[in-house]
Amino acid sequence: MLAVQVLINALVLGCLYACIAIGFSLVWGVLNVINLIHGSFIVLGAYLAWGAYQWLAISPWYALVIAAPLFFVFGYLLQRLLLNRVITAPVLVTLTLTFGLDLILNNAMIYYFKADYRKLTLSPPTGSISLFDVVVPVDRLIATASALVLTGLLYLLLRRSKVGRAIVAVRLDRDAAVLMGVDVKSIYAIAFGLGAALAGCAGVLMALIFPISPLTSSAYLGKAFVVCVLGGLGSVSGALAGGLLLALVEGVGSTLIGPAHATTLSFVLLIIFLVVRPQGLLGRKGFE
Amino acid sequence: MADPLILELQGLRAGYGEIQVLWGIDMAVRRGEITALIGSNGAGKTTLMRTLSGLIPMQDGHYFSEGRDLTGDTAAQILAHGIVHVPEGRRLFGAMSIEDNLLMGAYSRKASRAEIARDMERVYTTFPKLMERRNQAAATLSGGEQQMCAIGRGLMSAPRLLMIDELSLGLSPLLVEQLVAALRTLNAEGVSILLVEQDVTTALDLCHSAYIMDMGRIVRTGLGPELLADPIIRDAYLGVLED
Repeated sequence: MLAVQVLINALVLGCLYACIAIGFSLVWGVLNVINLIHGSFIVLGAYLAWGAYQWLAISPWYALVIAAPLFFVFGYLLQRLLLNRVITAPVLVTLTLTFGLDLILNNAMIYYFKADYRKLTLSPPTGSISLFDVVVPVDRLIATASALVLTGLLYLLLRRSKVGRAIVAVRLDRDAAVLMGVDVKSIYAIAFGLGAALAGCAGVLMALIFPISPLTSSAYLGKAFVVCVLGGLGSVSGALAGGLLLALVEGVGSTLIGPAHATTLSFVLLIIFLVVRPQGLLGRKGFE
Repeated sequence: MADPLILELQGLRAGYGEIQVLWGIDMAVRRGEITALIGSNGAGKTTLMRTLSGLIPMQDGHYFSEGRDLTGDTAAQILAHGIVHVPEGRRLFGAMSIEDNLLMGAYSRKASRAEIARDMERVYTTFPKLMERRNQAAATLSGGEQQMCAIGRGLMSAPRLLMIDELSLGLSPLLVEQLVAALRTLNAEGVSILLVEQDVTTALDLCHSAYIMDMGRIVRTGLGPELLADPIIRDAYLGVLED
C-alpha cells in the first residue's frame, strides 16, 4: 500500500522533474551554456500562473498557452542580444553572464512579489481520485499529464520538424551544420527560446502544486542539474529517465529515512553518478 | 552560355588566425569536369576546401564561380550558389538516421517536398545500401556506407560543384572502386567534381585535370593522364611503384 503510494508519487513528481530539466538540458546540450537563470524562469512562470489566476481569473491551463510564446520571445531576445556576444567565449564567461542575469531577475522578483511564499489555490478545488487504492489529487495528475505532453511535444519537434533537425544537427556537429547552410546563431536563439518556454511552462505547472517564492529558484535549478547528470545530457528521453529516477530516490529515501534528507540523497546520487557513470543513464559516452 | 569556369581563384590567401596556410592560390576549374587536388599532408588541401565552402574566411584574393563573385560570402551564400563541401571524415550527424542526414543536406533549399523526395530517390538509386538502412543511425554504418551517406547528403544540396575531401581514406579498394564508379555516373549527369585524394593513382586516373599543391601553393597543373606519366610526379607521389 505504502509502496504503491510512493511509486505513484514518484511517477507524478518524476514527470514534473523531467519538465523542469528538459529546457535546461536542451540549452546545455545545444549551446554548451549552463543556464543559471533557468530556475528563475521557472519561478517567473509560476508567478505568471498565480497572477493570471488571482488578478485576471485566467485558469492555469490557459496560462500555459500564454506562458509558452511569452517566454519563448523573452529567451530568444535574451540570447540574441546578450548571450550571443559571449557564446564563443570560455564556459566561465557564459556562466558568469547567466549568473548575473539570474541575480537581476531573481532580485527583481523579490522586489515586486516580496519573498513571501504564495499559494495558487484553485476554487472550486479539483478534488482527488483514487488510483489503485491510492489517493491522488486531480490537479497534480493534470499537471503531470501536461508535463508529459510538453515533453512529448519537444521530442516531436526535435525529431520531426525541419528546425528541430537543425537544432539536433548543431548539437551533434556545428561545422557540418554550417555546411548544410544552417544559421547557427539563429538556431542558438531558437534553442534558448525553447528552453525558456519550457521553463515558463514548468513554472505554471509547479504553481499548481508547490508554494511560490523567488527563493525556490535555486532548488529548481539544483533539480534540473541533478536530472541532467542522472539522465544524460541533451536528450528528451534522458531527461525523462533522470526525472523519474530522481523522484523515485527522493520518494523512497524520504519514506525510509525522513523527508528532511531527500535533497541530501539526490546530491549523493549525483556524486555517485559523476564518479561511476558520468554520461548518465541514457547519455552516450564521448558524445559531446 | 554562362562562364565555363565553375571555380576561378585568383591569389586566394587564408589560414587560421595568425597562421597563414594558403599563399595565393590560382585555379581555374572547368564546369562538367572532375578535377583532382593532390598533395602531401599539410599542403593545405583541406584548408582550401574549408575556405571555398566559407567555413574559414578568406584573407585576400578573389573567388568566382560561373562569373559570380563569391569573395567574402558566407557558407550559406556559397551553398546557395551550389558549391557543396563533403568534409574530411564525413562529419555525418551520427545520432540521426540516414534519412534525416539526407534531409539536412536539403535544409537550405527552397524546393518543394516532391522535388526533395525525388532527389532522395536519386540518392537511393545511386547508393542502394542507404535505402536498406535509411532509418538506422548514421553512426552505426560502416566506413564505406558513411562515405556514401556523406556524398548523398552533399547531393541533396543540389550541387553544381561537389567538393569531396578524402574520398578513399580508410576504405577498402573494392569500396573505393564502387565510389569512383558512382562519381563517374554523377559527373556524366552533369555534376562538376573537385576531389581531394591521398591515393594519387586513383585520383589521376579518375580526373580530367589535376592541381598539385605543396606548402600552401599550387605547384603543378595538367591533365590527369599527363601528370600520371610525368616522371617527377611519379617520383614525388608514387615513388615506390617505380621499378
